[in-house]
Amino acid sequence: MADVRLTEIRKSFGALDIIKGVDLSIETGEFVVFVGPSGCGKSTLLRMIAGLEDITSGELTIGGSVMNDVDPSKRGIAMVFQSYALYPHMTVRENMGFALRFAGMAKEEIERRVTDAANILELGPLMDRKPKALSGGQRQRVAIGRAIVRNPDVFLFDEPLSNLDAELRVHMRVEIAKLHKTLKSTIIYVTHDQVEAMTLADKIVVLRAGVVEQVGAPLDLYDDPNNTFVAGFIGSPRMNFLKAQVASIAPGFVTVSLANQPDVQLRLPAAAPSVKVGDEVSIGVRPEHFRAAGQGDADLVVAVDVAEHLGNTSYVYAHVSAGERIIIERAESRSAINREKLTVGLSAASSFLFDSAGTRVR
Amino acid sequence: MTPTPAPSARTWRFLPAASTYIALSIAAFVSLFPFVWMLISATNTSIDIIKGKTSFGDAFSTNVTNFFTLVDVPLVFWNSAKVAILTTLLTIAVSSLAGYGFEMFRSKMRDHIYSLVLLTLMVPFAALMIPLFMMMGRAGLINTHVAILLPTIASAFIIFYFRQSTKAFPTELRDAAKVDGLKEWQIFLYIYVPVMRSTFAAAFVIVFMTSWNNYLWPLIVLQSNETKTITLVVSSLASAYYPDFGVVMIGTILATLPTLLVFFIMQRQFVAGMLGSVK
Ligand SMILES: Nc1ncnc2c1ncn2[C@@H]1O[C@H](COP(=O)(O)OP(=O)(O)O)[C@@H](O)[C@H]1O
Ligand SMILES: [Mg+2]
Repeated sequence: MADVRLTEIRKSFGALDIIKGVDLSIETGEFVVFVGPSGCGKSTLLRMIAGLEDITSGELTIGGSVMNDVDPSKRGIAMVFQSYALYPHMTVRENMGFALRFAGMAKEEIERRVTDAANILELGPLMDRKPKALSGGQRQRVAIGRAIVRNPDVFLFDEPLSNLDAELRVHMRVEIAKLHKTLKSTIIYVTHDQVEAMTLADKIVVLRAGVVEQVGAPLDLYDDPNNTFVAGFIGSPRMNFLKAQVASIAPGFVTVSLANQPDVQLRLPAAAPSVKVGDEVSIGVRPEHFRAAGQGDADLVVAVDVAEHLGNTSYVYAHVSAGERIIIERAESRSAINREKLTVGLSAASSFLFDSAGTRVR
Repeated sequence: MTPTPAPSARTWRFLPAASTYIALSIAAFVSLFPFVWMLISATNTSIDIIKGKTSFGDAFSTNVTNFFTLVDVPLVFWNSAKVAILTTLLTIAVSSLAGYGFEMFRSKMRDHIYSLVLLTLMVPFAALMIPLFMMMGRAGLINTHVAILLPTIASAFIIFYFRQSTKAFPTELRDAAKVDGLKEWQIFLYIYVPVMRSTFAAAFVIVFMTSWNNYLWPLIVLQSNETKTITLVVSSLASAYYPDFGVVMIGTILATLPTLLVFFIMQRQFVAGMLGSVK
């Protein structure tokens, strides 16, 4: 069993609290992605699971046993580092077999495992090279191979693709997804890139400043974010936020009017609204959720700044009269954009309501 | 304004290169001249040397014979080699561990202790000589090679050098090694040492040369002829009542050979080490 459980995990460096009480359950075989902006504590949390940082307080279990003070090599984990961390004085083969040799495994068994991993990762012709003679993508594969041969219960990845160029990153992303399918092991993967998170994860953990903001399947986070932070972080281009004010509240619904444009009103579903009439709120609309004029529940006129045509779709950069900049995706039209004003439809069903603190109003 | 004529422009362009070569030539002359002069003098009689003769003579074999009769060459070389090699190995062992520790382990006291270590660089050796001599005397170590070793092993400069070089050692390598099951001393031995080998080579050259050429402290603590090193012997030849400079030059050549040898063998690693170990 390779489930990982974190209970009230905290980490301080001196007086600095970096991880502020994290509770998390990761099931066997799950691909979990920690995502969040740079400096939010993703690496620290991962390194605590690996045993490379002490746990200040809280409990960590892997496969049911408490691992707080267990040596990293005895936790049943293997880690792939951002800089790959291959031993520069060893060949690929030696790098991959090093941990096993060190653990006193029989030569034939090491050879068998290294060869297996090399086959999975197509490293065959590179086995006798030193890391210096490999490209970034190849080093990355060796680093993954070094993790695979140890046959760990849990794989830990710390931003493994961030040193690769864009094309290779997409390629390796697919490779890692395939690998998970093949090996079926538990994977904890850290990234600041929400696209990696969305495409790879069974479950995303969104972190901000050492606190878990939301945990859920990628599409659940996309469809149903708990707050403006998660809403803004998941989805690309990021969600637009429009300032608004609560105009009236009816059972099951909150009606808001846009700042500066009180005539633009939206009736949003909210079973138990935590706001009252007159409150400042914001409406979140994803770029891809704007409708054509007249097709939504309300029309909004925006001033166009620039338009980008990507071929399959177009992005309109615009601002509303209250001044907020917004991005509108217009898959269907290329010509409609070359004008100063654009009217778009807002749909209540695909808009999110947040209170002034950024918490979702449902 | 008249336009600058082309040849002059070209001259100006070559001037930086030319001045570089002139400066390098002067430096080469200054460093090579003593060597050449040493070689020439070794073939002349003492009288000729004093007269300032600058051509090769025919007294080489006489000088060699005289040197070997005056000096117990195997013993003196053995003393020097023993001291230099032991000093080098021990200094590198202690200083590399200290440099590694200072860079790898975080602690509140770290930078205070490190400042103290660096502070010792500012105390001139002359100020330490007498207290050190008294310490060695109390410990009964006067006239032993241990007395030369002990004060030099923990070298602030080499610790500094190792700490600076360790900054380029990727900490993720240490993390990877921990995950692979290595203890701290194993990380040091199996990862750090091989990765930093040019740093070690450069340190080896520096410490070996310093130790081999060390004069003042051995002069003070080594008093019997059985323990003296080559530098002491050569200098005692030179300060005799009637010094035979031809013989002194033979001694100087022999004393220089090991350092030259070490440098030429480790030249590439030395340069790499001075430029930084980790690529
Ligand atoms: N050893 C350390 N000592 C002090 N602060 C640290 C240490 N390691 C990390 N931090 C701080 O912890 C915070 C989180 O770091 P990290 O986990 O690396 O962030 P992320 O991986 O999400 O970018 C950062 O503000 C960083 O400066
Ligand atoms: Mg990080």
